[in-house]
Amino acid sequence: MKKFYITQRHKDVGFALLLILPTVLVLLRIFVYPIYQSAVWSFFHYNLMDGSPVQFIGWQNYKDVLTSVAFWLATQRTVYFTVLTVLFELVLGFFSALLLNQHFRGRTFFRAIIIIPWALLTLVNGLLWDWIYQPGFGLFTVLLHGLHILSPQQNPVWLANSSSIMNFVSVADIWKMTPFMTLILLAGMQAIPEELYEAVAIDGAGFWNKLIHVTIPQLMPSILVAIVLRIMGAFRVYDILTVFTGDPQTSITYLTFNYAFRYFYLGKASAMAWISTIFILILIVIYIRVLKKNLDQA
Amino acid sequence: MAVSAVRKRLFEPRPSELVPKFWLWLGLMLLLIFTLAPFVYLFTSSISITPDLLSGKLLPHHPTLSNYVNLLTGQGSANYIAAMRNSVEVAACTTVLSMIFGILAAYAFARVRFPFRMSMLFGILAMQILPSISILVPLYIMMRNGVSITIPFTHITWQTGSLLDSVWSLVIAYTTFSLPFVIWLLAGYFQTISKDLEEAAFVDGCGRWRAMFRVILPLSVPGIAATAIFTLLNAWDEYVIANAFTQTYASKTLPIAIAEFVGKHGMDWGLMTAGGFVGSLPPVIIAMFLYRYIVNGLTAGGIKG
Repeated sequence: MKKFYITQRHKDVGFALLLILPTVLVLLRIFVYPIYQSAVWSFFHYNLMDGSPVQFIGWQNYKDVLTSVAFWLATQRTVYFTVLTVLFELVLGFFSALLLNQHFRGRTFFRAIIIIPWALLTLVNGLLWDWIYQPGFGLFTVLLHGLHILSPQQNPVWLANSSSIMNFVSVADIWKMTPFMTLILLAGMQAIPEELYEAVAIDGAGFWNKLIHVTIPQLMPSILVAIVLRIMGAFRVYDILTVFTGDPQTSITYLTFNYAFRYFYLGKASAMAWISTIFILILIVIYIRVLKKNLDQA
Repeated sequence: MAVSAVRKRLFEPRPSELVPKFWLWLGLMLLLIFTLAPFVYLFTSSISITPDLLSGKLLPHHPTLSNYVNLLTGQGSANYIAAMRNSVEVAACTTVLSMIFGILAAYAFARVRFPFRMSMLFGILAMQILPSISILVPLYIMMRNGVSITIPFTHITWQTGSLLDSVWSLVIAYTTFSLPFVIWLLAGYFQTISKDLEEAAFVDGCGRWRAMFRVILPLSVPGIAATAIFTLLNAWDEYVIANAFTQTYASKTLPIAIAEFVGKHGMDWGLMTAGGFVGSLPPVIIAMFLYRYIVNGLTAGGIKG
């Protein structure tokens, strides 16, 4: 009996290896190896285009990046964008999910409709809001003129300044990504048993009491996952900015991309990518802890 | 009496619900307006003539399809259509490859016990956190020099030529970046399927392979569909990697083509919004009709409350 157990187990291990081998090979070659390579290059002077020799320069790239004004400006704007969008998306997404979790006629229709912004191409979202913010004849200006918030003589160029651009970009991102938040929170809300609400309703709990005593505590794992996923997404903002502005100092990804593929400073770009990656790595700890909890429950 | 009954119906929710009818419908109407207004504006702009747009008319006074005709047959239409074809190729190949690799690996992680299972799974999940920009530079050089993958302990090597400016560079990069996410969602889904069914299949004399294909996979169709939709939409939307790897319309995808629109057509907002609308139509239609799978996939894939 014992012998059978061992052979079956060995068979299982062989089977599992066979199944994960293609994935592991691909990930090692095209994901893990480049991670290692970019770590190595971040310590080298490696400019592809100017013909200068490749040489080891220690921490110089990191020093250059950490002392550059552009990097800190981009970081500051990226963090501002991330906090602003995730906060608004969480609140709006939460209340949208609350509405869509109720029973009412046409629920399927509403649930399908709210997905539209999320499914739109990010680039098209940028194009659309760029059009909305056009001075003179874009929707935003026309509406403000129509509502007499702006007098007809006033015609501001909304996207003129890189700092205030972050607010306008945030609005576009909030419009597009709130549905994603809604979907995750809705999935979580559907798992909350109705009896819990009925139980507190007997005690006379109203809207806010139900929210604070049932919905939010029950939804906490979903909220955490949604926040972490959105922070990771928002921190990488790039697509919309390329439409709104030519200024690479508006986000870390934009700045790194420009160092790498406009000037081909591969060493410095690698160092910058690593610094911003470490920001993200701090989030891994939180993320894995949440995931582990979820996996253990499954 | 009647008034207070109406009032009760409108403002007092059922015990199991949170929001009273009145606020529910008010909220839903606001949600509908804010969700749809920008999207409708995109469409109405695309069927307007330029003078209407430049005089700030929000609704088309002379509805026209000329922007669409111009987009698909006019000057520059060859580029747009080429980009559309590239996007379809990249998204389809990425989805198929990610699903084949992902299903096999996720099944092993979810269903078979083997050494280092959990550490490997968490290692793969951790990759999801890394932004693509952090390995874009080495990937670019790798694509320029051609990719080679060797199967360990053998001399079987798979070597390609330079992949820059070919859709395959995008397929390889997107598949790699999708795999951690695909495995995470699918492993979560496979775990929700009862072990008894599989064991019953073993008793009936099924091997591991047959049990996987005959029992687990058919039951996992909703999870597999959700994962495939996510992979497809991500591949369709991706811009950073495509911007780095593509150089001509042999490989440029739709997001790149649309970004170039903004530079090239300056003030022709009718044409640009038409291009944006057409490019967004496939993912919007897929998401709207398959939203049930998306929600279910999210519920099952470990993101549960």
